[in-house]
Amino acid sequence: MCTGRVDPALVAGAFKKGLDGLLVVGCYFGDCHYISGNFQARAKMDFTRKLLKHIGVNEERLAFRQCSSGEASVFVDLIGKFDEKIRELGPIGGGGDRLKAPEIFEKIGTAQAVLAGEKIRWVIGKRTPFLESGNMYGEIFTEHEFNRAIDMIIVEETEVQEILAKLRQGSQSVTDLAKALAIPSERIFRYITALKRKNMVTLEKVSGRSPIFQLAPQEV
Amino acid sequence: MPNKEENIRIGVFVCHCGSNIAGYLNMEELGAYAETLPHVAFVKRNLYTCSEGGINEIKKAIKEQNLNRVVVASCTPRTHEPLFRSSCAEAGLNPYLFEMVNIRDQCSWVHMQQRDDGTAKAKDLIRMGVAKSALLEPQQPIISDVTLRALVMGAGIAGMTSALALANRGYEVVLVEREERLGGMLNVINKLGPSMADAASFAEEKIKAVQSHKNITVFTKARVTEAQGFIGKYKVDIETESGVKKIDIGVIIVATGGRLLVPEGLYNYDGKKVITQLEAETLLKQGLDKGINNVVMIQCAGGRTKEKPYCSRICCQTAVKNAIMIKEQNPASKVSILYRDMQMYGVENEELFRDSRAKGIRYIKYDPEDPPQVKDGSVQVFHSLLGLKMDLAADLVVLSTPIVSQEGAEATSQLLRVPIDDNGFFLEGHVKLRPLDFATDGVFLAGSARFPANIREAVAQGLGAASRASIPLSKGSVVVEPIISILANEDACRGCGLCVALCPYGALEIRKTEKGRKVHVIDVACKGCGVCASTCYQHALSVNSFTDDQINAQINAFLE
Repeated sequence: MCTGRVDPALVAGAFKKGLDGLLVVGCYFGDCHYISGNFQARAKMDFTRKLLKHIGVNEERLAFRQCSSGEASVFVDLIGKFDEKIRELGPIGGGGDRLKAPEIFEKIGTAQAVLAGEKIRWVIGKRTPFLESGNMYGEIFTEHEFNRAIDMIIVEETEVQEILAKLRQGSQSVTDLAKALAIPSERIFRYITALKRKNMVTLEKVSGRSPIFQLAPQEV
Repeated sequence: MPNKEENIRIGVFVCHCGSNIAGYLNMEELGAYAETLPHVAFVKRNLYTCSEGGINEIKKAIKEQNLNRVVVASCTPRTHEPLFRSSCAEAGLNPYLFEMVNIRDQCSWVHMQQRDDGTAKAKDLIRMGVAKSALLEPQQPIISDVTLRALVMGAGIAGMTSALALANRGYEVVLVEREERLGGMLNVINKLGPSMADAASFAEEKIKAVQSHKNITVFTKARVTEAQGFIGKYKVDIETESGVKKIDIGVIIVATGGRLLVPEGLYNYDGKKVITQLEAETLLKQGLDKGINNVVMIQCAGGRTKEKPYCSRICCQTAVKNAIMIKEQNPASKVSILYRDMQMYGVENEELFRDSRAKGIRYIKYDPEDPPQVKDGSVQVFHSLLGLKMDLAADLVVLSTPIVSQEGAEATSQLLRVPIDDNGFFLEGHVKLRPLDFATDGVFLAGSARFPANIREAVAQGLGAASRASIPLSKGSVVVEPIISILANEDACRGCGLCVALCPYGALEIRKTEKGRKVHVIDVACKGCGVCASTCYQHALSVNSFTDDQINAQINAFLE
């Protein structure tokens, strides 16, 4: 078992249940029995931290650090500092976070859906090949370019998951969704069109002049 | 959620470990607490669970209490998990229905001064262990046959030594050499330090032994072009002058060696008046020209630079050896060695170094910021210890250049899916614990392919690698822990290959099946790191005994 097994969706699940802090400690790079699992772990935790920050969780609640099994004092220091930090932040959804309880847990639920979702997992999984050997056209991405793309995907995926969560509660029009989620209606429309194309959302009826959308049966 | 069809009955054994645990935690409280946990049917506290008495308690309880899960809360799984697992197996319980909780290292030892907090943490850990154990599923160890034939790549001294060692143990060996002649660098070397034995006769003896051995098949002017498979079952293509040979192989030893850096453009290198140590070996073999009275050697020529930051280790001893040889052939000659730091590790090299000084060889320390200047017939150097500019007469300048990685090392690394480091040398599984193994099972390494090695080290490593390689050969099969990745949801897998690209062990491959392209886990190659499971965007892959459900159960139990 390696830090590479730490699944971002499980991490979000734990925070949703009230976890206050998570410290993932892996081997030093290039000095690991599992060769490259720690690289993957760091990439996954970096990304998860970004997403948590985006939705309003204090990003310091999730950390990735490195230490070898022979460095007891380094380990104690890592744990001590992290513990101190989390105590300073207090319980999740309190003064330490932008978003407060209980709203924060609903938002983390959205983050969990994002992290379990296809798009994000695909992109994070492709990170190493994209940075090292390039995409199918042989274009190699710089870390900066990759991170910029990731930032955009975080925003979009969070909004998409919020729309799906709202539709799970009942069918709605674009205008209603825009109001409820405080997202411009053009953007909602764009997401809905994409979701419709993927057969995740269907048109239920037209009420007055506005179309009402619902989740496709398999998504309910 | 625990498997509904099964009536889960968990036995929890809480170990006192003498006073190691009981001295610092409240054991009565832990025992009483364990009884309150879901599915726990039996709790027993033992003075030493690992003693014969403790083991018998486990076995007895499995039978009498009808337990189908066992949790031991004690010391570390590193030392004791195998014992408790086999105890379960002896009592007829699948050993993978056992879960271990470490309340010694993680509680009593680190929280010695905090009895209450330590006890509370032990309760958390036991609760998590119990929750996970309820979801454990039986596993069967994976057994795979091993083809009793080794492939040794490279017939230098390391490779020949490995091949002979394995062949003498009765295993078939296929030895592949790129050059026409066996022996590698040994063919060029004059004398072997520090014993000053004759390299040519040593090489001759080894080559003969290899060529005449009935168990060794030698392919020269050949190279390995394909190696598919995993430990015990490799299918290898060897391109020879008489066509491609396809051979089944069980284990592979990489002994492809290194090569000497040719210092083109450095210190006016010309291969005549300014030569490398390897070229000096040839000159010394033929007998040094009588006209050569002044020799200057320059250490770290092209080595320990920004591009090649490592110390090649063996060039210092080579220089000292050759300096002594020059002195022996021409006692009147003056030999100076210009160095940055002398790397003469080991008692015998240290003695050789002292000897050389007694023989009048001069050592002059130079600063890499102000390197020596090679002129026609002389070398100018700033002696950084004396603070003096010196002009040394030089009929011959010998450059001690580092050993660099073998040509084609990268191709070999891709072929066998084993790593190389920044300098192009092959990277062992662990620098101290597995120095002659790759992280990938069934592939081993020896000699300068790994890092610059002198003859003696190459021989030792060759023997070591052969010894490591003979373990799966002598067993005839490999038994692998079944805690590996599995394609838990075949329908979900889209055969995208995302996991294949990230697997550090080459343990995943895409296969065409009736249901389309699906990933296949090569069970004996998988180490169960779990990168694939946490990456899969369809959640199709999982890891035995570390499934999402099991980990979630632990998380939920912790956050209860």
